Amino acid sequence: MPDILQVTVDKFTFRVPTDRVFSPEGVWVMWLPGTAEGRVRIGVTDYLQQHSGDVAFADMMPAGTELKAGDEAGTIETIKATLQLVSPIAGVVVATNPALGTAPEIINQDPYGEGWLAEIMVTDGAAQQSRLLDPDAYFAHMKEQAEAEVDAL
Amino acid sequence: MKDGMRKVVIVPCSGIGKPFGTVAREAAYDLVEDLRPHATRLVALSKLVLGDAESRAIVAAHPVITIDGCKLNCAAKCVQESGGTIVREVAVLEVFRQHKDLKPEGIAELNPEGVRLARVLAEELLPEIDALTAGAAGEDDHV
Amino acid sequence: MSDSPERKAGIIACSGEELAEGTVTRLAALRVLHDTRRGDTVTLCLPLFLAGGEGERTFARDFPTITVDGCELRCAARATERYSARPAASLVVTELAAARGITGVAGCRRLNDAGQRAVEAVADELAGLVDQVLGREGAR
Repeated sequence: MPDILQVTVDKFTFRVPTDRVFSPEGVWVMWLPGTAEGRVRIGVTDYLQQHSGDVAFADMMPAGTELKAGDEAGTIETIKATLQLVSPIAGVVVATNPALGTAPEIINQDPYGEGWLAEIMVTDGAAQQSRLLDPDAYFAHMKEQAEAEVDAL
Repeated sequence: MKDGMRKVVIVPCSGIGKPFGTVAREAAYDLVEDLRPHATRLVALSKLVLGDAESRAIVAAHPVITIDGCKLNCAAKCVQESGGTIVREVAVLEVFRQHKDLKPEGIAELNPEGVRLARVLAEELLPEIDALTAGAAGEDDHV
Repeated sequence: MSDSPERKAGIIACSGEELAEGTVTRLAALRVLHDTRRGDTVTLCLPLFLAGGEGERTFARDFPTITVDGCELRCAARATERYSARPAASLVVTELAAARGITGVAGCRRLNDAGQRAVEAVADELAGLVDQVLGREGAR
């Protein structure tokens, strides 16, 4: 289990694990161990899933899709809104989470684990990683966001 | 069905933070006020939270349908804690997944789609309610 | 204690489904949350105290809470005290309506005129209690 950074704002507690990096928009990227080629897994942060509400549908770009950083990686429709998920990283989608089709609520239940969204084969991973936020930086950013937006939760 | 005979107890969640909680409440009223007023009755979730003896006795003595507005399933959990027998747990989100065009909005007042979703949810429960109360005299007219 | 820098009040409505007064608690709480004391208040779902809402319990322990009950059973006030902490303030719709001369509240699903007047009265009282528990100027 990685160390967890957490903050409570009003009645909500938000968690950030320290074993991955993050986009400011709330998508995490984790390099999968044992994949020398640079295979990463992506998902949404605890803050983003709580802010967005219960997930009704999740539809990720299929395997084989080439993504540039900033491209739409998929769509999550929640009871509050429809989110266009921005890919934090460039690469080719090699897998999507099969559980999303039948039980997309898994994103809410376990956003950092079983609720992962897709796996992407990246090129030039080190350079891409350096453009993302480390856990401390994302935590600070998320905390600021949470305190500003908690009334919308 | 006469009062005192077998009724199905409807327990909606009391969710106040999201439209789906209001859909749960609306669907419960659809059942007990419009669709099957003589075959169903409400029990307020707040009474079960408090442990009100009369309400606990009612859910223990009758089949219960719970309608929950969010993943925390408060209604189902509270009925279980109260010793009730749940014959059907309904999640509004599951029903919405089958009716994507009916997206509820508004907590104090639901939009027309939310009202319709509640009605659809309630109507989907009618066969089960009718089966549970079959044979009782004076059943409500079917819709 | 929360890391939140701002002090807020929690509002816990009984939301009782069996009585029109339960609907009054719900609509009054929403009016204060979304309108008259937006940003100063948080609503807490009462059933979450029992169904595992750690966030709700913790909030109710660390922040002042105001309970709004529809009837003299006072489910919200008593359950809050049992599962979390004593509310900072409480009100009961039937008592307040009687004190304000509002009679004939009816309509669990769609409140009648008396019910709507009760919502206004309860929301007004709640807003005053929010100011009071937060120590705001002009609090009653």
